[in-house]
Amino acid sequence: MSLDDLPIVDDPLEAGAEDRVFDSLLLVGPLLILFIAIAGRSPLTTGGAIAYCWFFISYIIYRGGQERV
Amino acid sequence: MNEAMETIGRDLGRMLEALSGLLFVSLLVPLVWDEYWAIPALIVSGLLPLGIGFALTSQFREATQPGKLHGMIIAATGWLLVAVFGSLPFLLIAWTVELGLPVVETPSQTETLAAFTEPLNALFESMSGFTGTGLTMTDNEAVLPRTLQWWRSFIEWVGGVGVIVLTTAILARPGSGSLTLYESEARSERIHPSVVSTVQTIWWIFILFTFVSILLLWVVGMPLWGAINHAMTGLSTGGFSITDNSIATYDSAAIDFALLPIMMLGSIAFPVHYLILQGDLRNFYADLQTRWVFIYMSAGTLALTALVYVSGTYKSLFAAFRYGSFQFISAATCAGFQTAVDATNVALGRWPAQAQLTVVFGMIVGGAAGSTVGGIKLIRALTLLKGIRFRIADIFYPTTAVRRLEINGRRLNDQEMRQEFEEAAIIGLLWFVFLGLGLFVLLLVLPQGEYALENVIFEVASAQGNVGLSSGITGPDSLPAVGKVTFMFNMWIGRLEIIPVLVTLRTIFSRGGLYQ
Repeated sequence: MSLDDLPIVDDPLEAGAEDRVFDSLLLVGPLLILFIAIAGRSPLTTGGAIAYCWFFISYIIYRGGQERV
Repeated sequence: MNEAMETIGRDLGRMLEALSGLLFVSLLVPLVWDEYWAIPALIVSGLLPLGIGFALTSQFREATQPGKLHGMIIAATGWLLVAVFGSLPFLLIAWTVELGLPVVETPSQTETLAAFTEPLNALFESMSGFTGTGLTMTDNEAVLPRTLQWWRSFIEWVGGVGVIVLTTAILARPGSGSLTLYESEARSERIHPSVVSTVQTIWWIFILFTFVSILLLWVVGMPLWGAINHAMTGLSTGGFSITDNSIATYDSAAIDFALLPIMMLGSIAFPVHYLILQGDLRNFYADLQTRWVFIYMSAGTLALTALVYVSGTYKSLFAAFRYGSFQFISAATCAGFQTAVDATNVALGRWPAQAQLTVVFGMIVGGAAGSTVGGIKLIRALTLLKGIRFRIADIFYPTTAVRRLEINGRRLNDQEMRQEFEEAAIIGLLWFVFLGLGLFVLLLVLPQGEYALENVIFEVASAQGNVGLSSGITGPDSLPAVGKVTFMFNMWIGRLEIIPVLVTLRTIFSRGGLYQ
């Protein structure tokens, strides 16, 4: 059984920008928000949220650079 | 019953089924926030559209695919029906609190919630939400139950992308009928050859951007519940808030500036987002509309900053830039968040007339077609400008000259140019005609001398452009019933770009013998 066969996970993998990193960000997003809701504002959750946003922007720029090359 | 009615009935049924799904998903909110008393109202609100939708789809399962006329009627009546049934949670929750429940303890009634015991107010809120307008019948959003705060944000989030886009994505039905409906909902560009794949990718992009927006707002200091709601309504450029004074409540420059890219993301077309995520960053400047989103919003920001600074509305240049940039981008992206309110600074309605009219200009033009914004849309404004320039320049060329108009990398021949120019001109003209009609009605029904003309123009443009900025006219008591109905009509035609509504009205009047 592959990752694509899992329920809920299969739809995002099927529908998106055909990129596993963005797919992963989509799947991790709600879990991170849920974690923040439970744990509240702490260095760990703040770091996680910053890392998420930073990774999203950096990866777009990285993909743009790759495309140009 | 004729074939057309069966097709329309079947597709309306599907839209109602999708709406009931939204209502049942929302049951999670009263469960999480211990608002158990709101659950019966939500269940009833969900069962009604589900029952009607199921009956229609079962009855007309074998109906034919919709044509262009059917598609427009389905889009127009579907949005109206969804707004009507979407008003049920407002109405029923308000009445639940008003009357109380026998077993579960209900909270005490507030003036804000009591406004929704009036069906017209509930309908206004629902129409404003689904069309992504953001004008509200609430006095103080902060005292609303969390269930209603969520429902307002959720319907704006869904409405921003489109009810038909949602229906097609969930109840996927390949075929030409889906494309017809997709195009009837003021969308034309496709990401993939298949419409079903296109709408699924649109939702994929939208959901990912929502998570990024929530986390960004939370990082800059917004509480999580506020971040969830404002990310949803900011990205969908709807503009409903869960606080009394919109974004001004937070009075934080960091939050103001964090919302700017979120609103701008919502005003860029989904196909462009897709290409950018694929690594094709050239679209930021190569795509005509996206390029102009940045040019036009930068120019508007500078103009508005200069106007409010020079007029002395704000004492420091930073404050003028902070409020000027936020209010222009909020207007031009049709989000409608407000930071300029009386509680923290100078309210928009008391800005100099020229500054208010600059904001009105932003609301009328809007952002890119194919995004979540309202207004005439940048591509139409640019087509009109280029078309006018082309026509004027024509005089200087010999009659034998073969000329082509270039728009967004496409070289249009004479016939194509006429077609695009005509479409943009018709929508542009209709937009101003209905703006004028709305203005006329408002001037008739509002108390004489209470509001300045620029305030009224501002409010009507805000309703029709699905923006939601207010100069203070809209409210449960301040806006007369006729004004509310007028605004609902303005919001409805604004969201569907007028033509589908006019086609539907013509069909109804023609069949009823009123239009011959």
